[in-house]
Amino acid sequence: MTLFLQQFVNGIALGSVYSLVALGLTLVYGVLKVPNFAHGALYMAGAYVTYVMLTSFGASYMVAMAVSIAVLAVLGGSMEWLVFRRLEGKSPVHAMIAALGMLFFMEGTADVIWGPTFRQVPSPFNDVVTLLGVSITEQRILVIVAAVAVMVGLYLLLKRTLVGMSIEAMAQDREGALLVGIDTRRVALLTFAISGVLAAAAGSLIAPLLLVFPNMGELIILKAFVIVILGGMGSVPGAILGGYLLALAETMAGTYVSFAFSELIAFALLVLVLVVRPTGLFEKGV
Amino acid sequence: MEFPRARGVGVSLLLLTAIVFPLIVDNPYLVSVVVTAYVTAIAVYGLDVMLGYTGQLSLAQGGFFGVGGYTAGILMASYDVSFWIALPVAVAMTSALGYLIGLAALRTRGDYFAIFTLAVGVMIVIIIERWEDVTGGTDGLIGVPAPSGVGPLQFDSLTAQYYLILFFLVVTIYVVWSLMDSLVGRTFVAVRNSEELARAVGIDAGRTHQLAFVLSAALAGLGGVLYAVFLGYIGPAMGGVQMTFMMLVYLMIGGVASLAGPLLGTLLVTGLMQVLQAFAEYQMMALGPILVVVIIFFPHGLAGLAGHAKRLFQRRGG
Amino acid sequence: MMRGDSVGRRTLRLGGVLVLGTVVFLSGCAGGESGGGTDDGLEVVNIGFIGPLSGGAAYYGRNVQRGIMMAADEIAEGGGFEVDGRMVRFEIVSLDDRYLPYETATAARRLLQQNQTPVILVPHAGGIRVVQEMNTREPKFLLAAYSSEPSILEAGNPLTLMLPPRFDGYQQPWVEIMMERFGKRLALLPTTTAYGKAWTEAVSVEWSRQGGTLGRDHGVDYNTTTDFTGAVSRALADEPDVLFIGGPSQPTALVIRAAREQGFEGGFIIMDQAKFMEMLTIVPMEALEGAIGVYPQETYPTPGAPLFAERYYERFGDDFQSPTSEVAINYQGIRLIAQAMHLAGTTTDPEAIRAHAGEAARTLPDEYRIFEMDGVTETGHLVRAVFSAHVVDGEFVALRIPAPTSAPSH
Repeated sequence: MTLFLQQFVNGIALGSVYSLVALGLTLVYGVLKVPNFAHGALYMAGAYVTYVMLTSFGASYMVAMAVSIAVLAVLGGSMEWLVFRRLEGKSPVHAMIAALGMLFFMEGTADVIWGPTFRQVPSPFNDVVTLLGVSITEQRILVIVAAVAVMVGLYLLLKRTLVGMSIEAMAQDREGALLVGIDTRRVALLTFAISGVLAAAAGSLIAPLLLVFPNMGELIILKAFVIVILGGMGSVPGAILGGYLLALAETMAGTYVSFAFSELIAFALLVLVLVVRPTGLFEKGV
Repeated sequence: MEFPRARGVGVSLLLLTAIVFPLIVDNPYLVSVVVTAYVTAIAVYGLDVMLGYTGQLSLAQGGFFGVGGYTAGILMASYDVSFWIALPVAVAMTSALGYLIGLAALRTRGDYFAIFTLAVGVMIVIIIERWEDVTGGTDGLIGVPAPSGVGPLQFDSLTAQYYLILFFLVVTIYVVWSLMDSLVGRTFVAVRNSEELARAVGIDAGRTHQLAFVLSAALAGLGGVLYAVFLGYIGPAMGGVQMTFMMLVYLMIGGVASLAGPLLGTLLVTGLMQVLQAFAEYQMMALGPILVVVIIFFPHGLAGLAGHAKRLFQRRGG
Repeated sequence: MMRGDSVGRRTLRLGGVLVLGTVVFLSGCAGGESGGGTDDGLEVVNIGFIGPLSGGAAYYGRNVQRGIMMAADEIAEGGGFEVDGRMVRFEIVSLDDRYLPYETATAARRLLQQNQTPVILVPHAGGIRVVQEMNTREPKFLLAAYSSEPSILEAGNPLTLMLPPRFDGYQQPWVEIMMERFGKRLALLPTTTAYGKAWTEAVSVEWSRQGGTLGRDHGVDYNTTTDFTGAVSRALADEPDVLFIGGPSQPTALVIRAAREQGFEGGFIIMDQAKFMEMLTIVPMEALEGAIGVYPQETYPTPGAPLFAERYYERFGDDFQSPTSEVAINYQGIRLIAQAMHLAGTTTDPEAIRAHAGEAARTLPDEYRIFEMDGVTETGHLVRAVFSAHVVDGEFVALRIPAPTSAPSH
């Protein structure tokens, strides 16, 4: 029983990270129909900025995260402004290539600046809490709590602010949104910026638990795509639910079946779901 | 399709260049790079059949490449099967796998299809990596022999392998070209342009997609077999997502839905990467912006430019 | 077509591409420097290095590279070494293969074509085995292999020199020590590469042989796993006294951390792939209490090791990361090759160089000698004694494991 609980908690913590990454991706993908393969690089950049703030500038963890979020908002927005905007009207494949190009560039730059060394991000939350025989580090609790806070914030943004509602409108019908007078370009820019913020939060929260290195975004972006498709493109609840479910499935599969199976399960799930429902689990929309 | 004679001359010239290339260039390194490009280009033609002609992006191409390579590699290295049997068997297996996957995948469209095939591709690699007894796991399989001789022909040398692979490349291009020109090809395009309209005139869109998918898988498998044989080695990286994405890059840079595009793109980008290798850690950093710039300013790839050049000449000619 | 794009602009782009394409192609065709040039009276011999310099394994590849470049630089600064009356120095030509064996093969062809390298060093088994298919055909070259995988020797390649020590000497003493200190239950949580599997087999067999009990194999791929808490939970469910772990240093440190966080107080048997000094950048010494692994390079109990460490810090700076065996063994390898060339009287005949490698190992001058080396086996393995370290009360306790008793052939 203890093993099950321990794994359950591990799964929830992992799911928080998956959800945050998937959220950023689903907004961009659902709203702008752009498959941003470079989103994993944003996650990586968020982790590195936090690392630099903590080690070179001696900032506190919260300040480091805040800076990371600010920087990534700009970085995310500039992806749209510099690159994706110029591919408006072209097929998504063109956007994919451009995204790959940006991914190579960002990973290459990180490699040049910090080298391929695995970096350790120090965190002040290293103590272990034991509850019902389950050990969990404070950092993991922080990840779960912060992720929930971010999700609530995002939800409020989307439902209660004008900006958020514009994003929703664009997700539902881009031309309709244009007709109603929404500045689609500005909304696109903001959506990318928000995706940067989400990636930064994910990267900064998870960094102390893992190791930071230039290619750290590659595996997680694949899973994020799976989550986005499963949960429905542009669906915020879909991304959240999908993220947690996938992480739990992976953790439990790894525990009770085998490691190899846990690696497969994300993709096997996708294949299975799409065979049964070729249009995904949830309807599109926020 | 103006100036068919000019096109015929152009193609003959290119073919001639390709044939004399290893004889005049005394540089095994350069020849091996070109051979690697030819082999990859075969798979890229497969990708083009899906993307260029049916408009669907199959991201499982790397996976099929790997399946082809591993099937032939295992047969030849572990079971001493001759290349001339292993090749058709591997291509058949890859096609069969493509057919099966297509049954599920082709019920989805657009982005879903792309991600579905991506997931399939990833799963193929994971299975390859973890099924160590058969595939050698993450280390791959070493000792894939060169093709056995046929009559007076021996295939041990680099030059002989160059011609063997060139032969398959030419066959591939011919098959793709004649298919696209034929009714089948035009059916593909009709379905791509408007599936509903195509259905309305009686075209079985599903069957069309399936045919294209199996063909693209078969070509990827063929490329994989030749790659394994040429290198004498097959590893999971050759079937991975990275390989798929590089193929996509080659195709887009070369020009989608064009006859020369896949080959041109593969040659150019492969050459570019060799040049950039001198920059070591700056390699990826340099490749990125190049890709972005090219895709923004040359969305139809090199072949699109060639088309533009042709039009220039036409204007002059009147 | 591209609407709104004037004909003139498109023509310009076309022209630009043609010009650029020609430039790119020509520069790509132009070779690099070839070997055999002279430099301040010193003859230059190119030594090739093909390894992961970008991508996931780059940290490892660059460590190896640092070792060989340090050797080459020292040689150059010291006025070279003598070969048949001439003074020679090495120029290291590095190519990035991104850990992909097919790139290794292409890079090897490039080195042979453009730089006429008589020796090429490759630090990963996949690349090594691919290159082994090439080096016995003209142009022949000596392959310096930095990898402990047994299959490299089993290939029977006559021009291979395997640099790292055997890994199968560690298990017997380590198992004995761990069993005595902690108990008889062992859980397995190593990386799942072929090397990891070879180690797992060796440890499992030895553990059973000495009367212990084994848990299930909970191994995961250290290269792709980011969060080890799940894997560790599974392993700890076996209630082990000792955990067998190992893979690249940094992920191994994460495994240790996760184990301690989950309350594990037993010992660790750590595969030789992981290095204590690198792990200590992530976990404190207290976490390593009870661990047994390879002795840290910097303070390796041979006369030459601390001296080497001193020269290393002088060259790269006092704050630089600690020198690991990757740096040291490959440094030693280059020094060895220089000595072999000196003894063989040739820089271009790889067979002669290989034939003198054993003698070179025995006669290498003390000022460059880091390890005790006895010679080279017929299959190409460098024979040497190794030291391991057991962490007791926060200190590394050294244990010398002599070279295997099967004598080297020359």
